[in-house]
Amino acid sequence: MKTDLKNKCEKLLGYAKKYGATNSDVILSRGDSFSLTSQNGDIDKYKVSGSQVVGVRVIKDSKVGISYSESMDDESLEFTAKSALENAENSEENLFESEMFNCGDQIFKSEFEKDSSSTQDKIDLCLKLESEVKKRDSRIDVVPYNGYSESNGESYYLNSKGTFSYNSEYYQSCYTSALLKVGDKNGMHYHGSIGRNLKDLDLDSCIDESIVHASQWLEASPLKTGNYDIIFTTDSLSQILGLFSNIFSGKGAMEKNNPFAEKLNTKIAGEALSIMDIPDYENAFFKSYVDSEGLKHKKLSLIKDGVLSSFYHNSVTAKYFGVESTAHASRGAKSSLGVGGTTKVVLAGKDSDSSVKASEYFEVHTLQGLHSGANVVSGDFSFAASGYLCKDGVRNQPVKGVTVSGNFHKLLLDINILGDKIHSTSDNSFFSPLIRFEKMSVAGV
Amino acid sequence: MLQKEIANEVIFEALSLGADFCDLFIEKNQLQNISMNSSKIKDIKTGVDFGIGVRLIYGDKALYGYTNSSEKIDLINLTRKLAEQYKSKVNIENTLKFNTKIPKEIAFLQDSEKKLSEKILKFRELDSKIRQESNLINQVNINLTQRKQAIEIFDSEGLHIEDFRPYCRFSATAIAKDGSEQATGSWSPGARGGYEFVEGLDLDWISNYTVSQALTTLKAKPCPAGNMPVVIDNGFGGVIFHEACGHSLETTSVEKKASVFWDKKGELIANEALSAVDDGTIDNLWGSISIDDEGMETQKTQLIKDGILTNFLSDRMGEIKTNHPRTGSARRESYKYAPASRMRNTFIEPGKYSLEELLESMGDGLYAKSMGGGSVNPGTGEFNFAVQEGYLVKNGKLTDAVKGATLIGKGEEIMKNISMVGNNLDYAAGVCGSVSGGVPVTVGQPALKVDEILVGGKA
Repeated sequence: MKTDLKNKCEKLLGYAKKYGATNSDVILSRGDSFSLTSQNGDIDKYKVSGSQVVGVRVIKDSKVGISYSESMDDESLEFTAKSALENAENSEENLFESEMFNCGDQIFKSEFEKDSSSTQDKIDLCLKLESEVKKRDSRIDVVPYNGYSESNGESYYLNSKGTFSYNSEYYQSCYTSALLKVGDKNGMHYHGSIGRNLKDLDLDSCIDESIVHASQWLEASPLKTGNYDIIFTTDSLSQILGLFSNIFSGKGAMEKNNPFAEKLNTKIAGEALSIMDIPDYENAFFKSYVDSEGLKHKKLSLIKDGVLSSFYHNSVTAKYFGVESTAHASRGAKSSLGVGGTTKVVLAGKDSDSSVKASEYFEVHTLQGLHSGANVVSGDFSFAASGYLCKDGVRNQPVKGVTVSGNFHKLLLDINILGDKIHSTSDNSFFSPLIRFEKMSVAGV
Repeated sequence: MLQKEIANEVIFEALSLGADFCDLFIEKNQLQNISMNSSKIKDIKTGVDFGIGVRLIYGDKALYGYTNSSEKIDLINLTRKLAEQYKSKVNIENTLKFNTKIPKEIAFLQDSEKKLSEKILKFRELDSKIRQESNLINQVNINLTQRKQAIEIFDSEGLHIEDFRPYCRFSATAIAKDGSEQATGSWSPGARGGYEFVEGLDLDWISNYTVSQALTTLKAKPCPAGNMPVVIDNGFGGVIFHEACGHSLETTSVEKKASVFWDKKGELIANEALSAVDDGTIDNLWGSISIDDEGMETQKTQLIKDGILTNFLSDRMGEIKTNHPRTGSARRESYKYAPASRMRNTFIEPGKYSLEELLESMGDGLYAKSMGGGSVNPGTGEFNFAVQEGYLVKNGKLTDAVKGATLIGKGEEIMKNISMVGNNLDYAAGVCGSVSGGVPVTVGQPALKVDEILVGGKA
């Protein structure tokens, strides 16, 4: 933690007060990172960075204004505060965005810091990833994406009521890929690993997963158009749930952008489905302690036995709906106050993994077109997909060149079959049992 | 923005450490964002970004770093840190002299210096018009982002150049609700320019377009799945070429051989009916730039002529690695990214057919009136993109509106399956995400007929 950065925040709060803010809060983010990529047995890109940004939110006469700056000299800080106040003057009265809290000092310094490995160790790791992929299969033409990166960041939150919270985080990651070509056919896959130090990084899984799937998809073919039972891998399920996560947004409900705004305490999913938000979930890679208003995070039930049990709330949405904040305020230095979740955990069901995988199903491994193929308001989606046609847990046919389509809202209601074992995404950010989705539309040949 | 003396010393330090080339990219960005929701101004946000990117090239290695500081000592330290692994002591004299170049300017729409309160009146007018169109409209979201980007570039070949790039993007979304069913209609135009662009927008047209799209989609049936002919209408339909082919023509993919077209220059890669360009020189267009992010004047690049691949999009590293000459296509989201070869305004050139002729020739199939975004894996050429507003076609005539359709395929195949090109070229603004971040690009095309493509929908 750097005292001079905390001082910058205090100075900005002071300027906000000087120009008439009733309440104000400041977020300062600072980070440095290092990354490498290799190509044809040599490092081809090498990147070192350091950056910082400070943002202020001011409230005056029940109006809110926001401004930020990447320069932190006194003149820039004063200009930032003045701009935020000018923005507030032009805003409309917002009686819900009025509160700030005194939560005292809360310091959450990462227990993980930069390890002692040298730059050369990291270069060696990057080159090893590429050479090992090439060695494993003579059909591998190129390793198009192969690299290492590390990130060291910290954030400061201060408000005019006296709250100061501090977080820091350090992690490393690596990734590789395999592109196989035989005649007109090709297959490609990419896999990554995340850890706190160099020896945490799982190079073998990066190499194995990239090659196994790329070589399978070299021989893949589309399915016949029809309805198939589908089991998404935990990574792809996480992507879909993340895409439609505005169904849990209190802000979305307040602004009528959440299609489930009027469905609180009603059945929105099969009874077998319960989802929790657990900020300090034991196996999660990242843990969260306080939200962006300085409130301590707590567990939250989002769906219980198929019923929508809560939205994510900050102080504004909580006031609008007449409830307490769930401590899920989310804000970056450059953004306005929103809501956001932490680690989502789908609770285990009653079926064994083998019964979930009984008979024929399509295991969806990779989804493409996520940002464009979904309408988060209507719930309609259609994604390009690749994976395997399986029977009783055995992968029988690699599949690509198909689309998986449906409506997310209807999909939730149809969930009945959940495994009794919790699986995690490859980066340990989302946890779920296997879920079998019955009779989904698949377009192929 | 950066003193010439400091730039000189930093670049000299890089060359003294054995770098073959060094450039500095200095950027200051002023941003203003206004958003409206539930007929109220929700947020007004302003900010200033400032940073400097330092790039050193050793052979075919690019070393890149950035900082928010313009202090000489911080820039020298960053340069030394970058060179740490590759430095070699070179005894050279500092003979570097910068030759300041004035770029030929591509025109932009002016900023009319309207007060915030006047801009807000425009929001209210549009919000009111959209809500008056139908009582099924449940919500309206309106957003305006104006960005003024000032850049300065110094390099070890003596280049010194500055540029100013104003960007203006306006978006309106109407949400229609009928019982438990909801649907959206949206329009997000953008321009190289200031607020003058918004003043020229036709609010009646925008309200009619967004509401009509929302109501049509609200009533639409799920799209049937399968292989079928598709007519893709003009404007944002150009995302098909952007995804299916454009990304694979960037040397960023070609240099890794992660492009299905990397060795196909001079070969027929598309139907002979198809010619396509990437043109950074069009006045006022969202993806236009006077100079690229390496300081080179931008140009018009013919990518495909009568189906034959004629050029790739290349930057300095692309030229070093592939020998394809630079095309003024080095772009990046901000100083936080090293430049990479990227598209600017990419479009298929107009042909001779009317939209009606394309539909009639198709018989039965799908008419994609409005497209959403898409993505591609350049290594395999597999792409996908979403249909935002679509209709089934029977005997050449539009019938039911359909929703939830996605078009997927392989770039090499789809380019050969475009058999007819219309005469109604139009453009649309978008933000393209890739290796050097999100950059403003224009996609464009006249209406096209694709003889066969897989449509994802209801089985």
